[in-house]
Amino acid sequence: MSEIATAGVRPAARGRLGARAGAAKGAPDVRRLLQLGLAGIWLLDGLLQYQAFMFSKGFSDMLAGTASGNPGAVASPITWDATLIAHHAVALNAIFATIQLLLGIGIAWRPTVRVALAASIAWSLGVWWFGEGLGMVLTGDASPVNGAPGAVILYALLAVLLWPADRPGKPAPFTAARAVGAPAARALWLVLWLSLAYFALLPGNRAPQALHDMIAGMEDGEPGWLAALDRGAASLVAHEGLTASIVLAIALVIVAVGVYLPAPAARGTLVMAIVVAAVIWVFGEAFGEIMTGGATDPNSGPLLALLALTYWPARAVVTASARTAPAGAGEGMTAS
Amino acid sequence: MIPAWILDIFAAIMLVVAAVSAARLVAARPWRPGGRRAALADIDVAHLLMAIAMAGQLASGLRTLPDGVWEVIFAVMTAWFAYRVVRDTRVSGIRALAGGHCAPHLIHAAAMLYMFLALSAPAAGGSGEMGGMSGMGTLQLPLLAFLFALLLVGYSIWDLDQLSGPGASGHYSLAAARVAPTGPVLAGVGAPAGPGAAAGPALAGASPALSAVEPAEAVQVPPASAPADGTGVLAPWVATGCRIAMGVTMTFMLLIMI
Repeated sequence: MSEIATAGVRPAARGRLGARAGAAKGAPDVRRLLQLGLAGIWLLDGLLQYQAFMFSKGFSDMLAGTASGNPGAVASPITWDATLIAHHAVALNAIFATIQLLLGIGIAWRPTVRVALAASIAWSLGVWWFGEGLGMVLTGDASPVNGAPGAVILYALLAVLLWPADRPGKPAPFTAARAVGAPAARALWLVLWLSLAYFALLPGNRAPQALHDMIAGMEDGEPGWLAALDRGAASLVAHEGLTASIVLAIALVIVAVGVYLPAPAARGTLVMAIVVAAVIWVFGEAFGEIMTGGATDPNSGPLLALLALTYWPARAVVTASARTAPAGAGEGMTAS
Repeated sequence: MIPAWILDIFAAIMLVVAAVSAARLVAARPWRPGGRRAALADIDVAHLLMAIAMAGQLASGLRTLPDGVWEVIFAVMTAWFAYRVVRDTRVSGIRALAGGHCAPHLIHAAAMLYMFLALSAPAAGGSGEMGGMSGMGTLQLPLLAFLFALLLVGYSIWDLDQLSGPGASGHYSLAAARVAPTGPVLAGVGAPAGPGAAAGPALAGASPALSAVEPAEAVQVPPASAPADGTGVLAPWVATGCRIAMGVTMTFMLLIMI
């Protein structure tokens, strides 16, 4: 509730006000905006974790199910964890939900952004193992269409790429390169999207009815319109599993190498990445099944899109050394 | 089923918000000559009503008014904030939706209206009364609940960022308004301004907090006899804090009722 007089203010004065406002605020910092996107998803995760389903035996059963198909060394801790949660469902789930809520708030609250991002990396890795069975990447059942390599590992990746620090030297060509450098950022992107392409071509995913069954299986509990959408999409790929897998894999490979292309072409492949993420989110993940009341997160679609935005070629992403920020403007407190 | 104590915690937070909003209204005295402008009091009235309604939804023992009455209240509130957003948009364009402080309240009011209407519909089952959510009512049109949740999360995160930023100003300022406005001059919340200062000089010497204030948020500063806006419970960050708490709680309610 800003109280500032306007009555009788001359246009010229208001013009100066606008100009000064612009100068004071400066151009919006892309990395901070992306951090806020990540914070929002964490906050949403935390609140989803308070849903009634998460306090029921169904939640621990769901966790236990991720052990299936994993190597013993991976599966045993998952089973132990699921059993523990089954015995203390209320207390542990309330703690889980609160932690995720605090991660979201912590990233959004500038003084705590570093602590929260660091904590989110540790938490994500734990959930990736104990909650998602390492995204099922070791089981042969992972598919980019149903969330491989596990949505939560993407939170950790984003936290690393959006870390509020800048490498010295020449300006970073895109936001993700600011903290880890362009070569490392591009390598991470390449590994992620090539792995998605690999998963798309796994035998279980290229079977004639594999994609159809996966999409059709999402309609349980969904609103009528979304179930109809799923049925329509499933019918389009019925008996076309191999073709669909090859097309998807080609698209994913193009996206993977896109960050090595010149900026205009890279932008094109990033748009393609966002489109692929949106298609996966709507048809393969049914908006993370949030409308069924049993989702723990919005799944990988929004995170892949957010990730793509961190690689968007920038005209002038400046590093700390190149920045002419006033003295005392701390990292994470200003344009981080 | 969600443990009752979790719902009670959120209900307690809403009661605190209601108490703070009531205290702000009392301190501002908008109904008296020289009191704070009524145009600003609407925010606190909205916070007060929404917090009371949400507390009643979360804990059945805190129910106050019948659902039908709340529906009318939130329909009026939605229309009021829609009017204010349109008015702000005419002044500062589309920025009013992102940077103004009426757009979040419009979303809050509309979300409250949706919650009451969608849950009290016959298909939701039961008597149509929102008698607390331990029994887990279900909202119709879950897509709408999801969209409201996304918007509320977005505004809450944005508020948190702005509140903690070094350039926090206006309704975001944590340190704002240690100095009360002393005259009908162009001044930001608590921006120092001498009596009789003209608009031009006031701008030229304004603090960063002043320079970041958006035109859409502009109102007439009360005269010297007015209460010290921006101090104590009237500090702008208190209202923003209430808004964040309500946004998070409202999102929680929408998601658990999907």
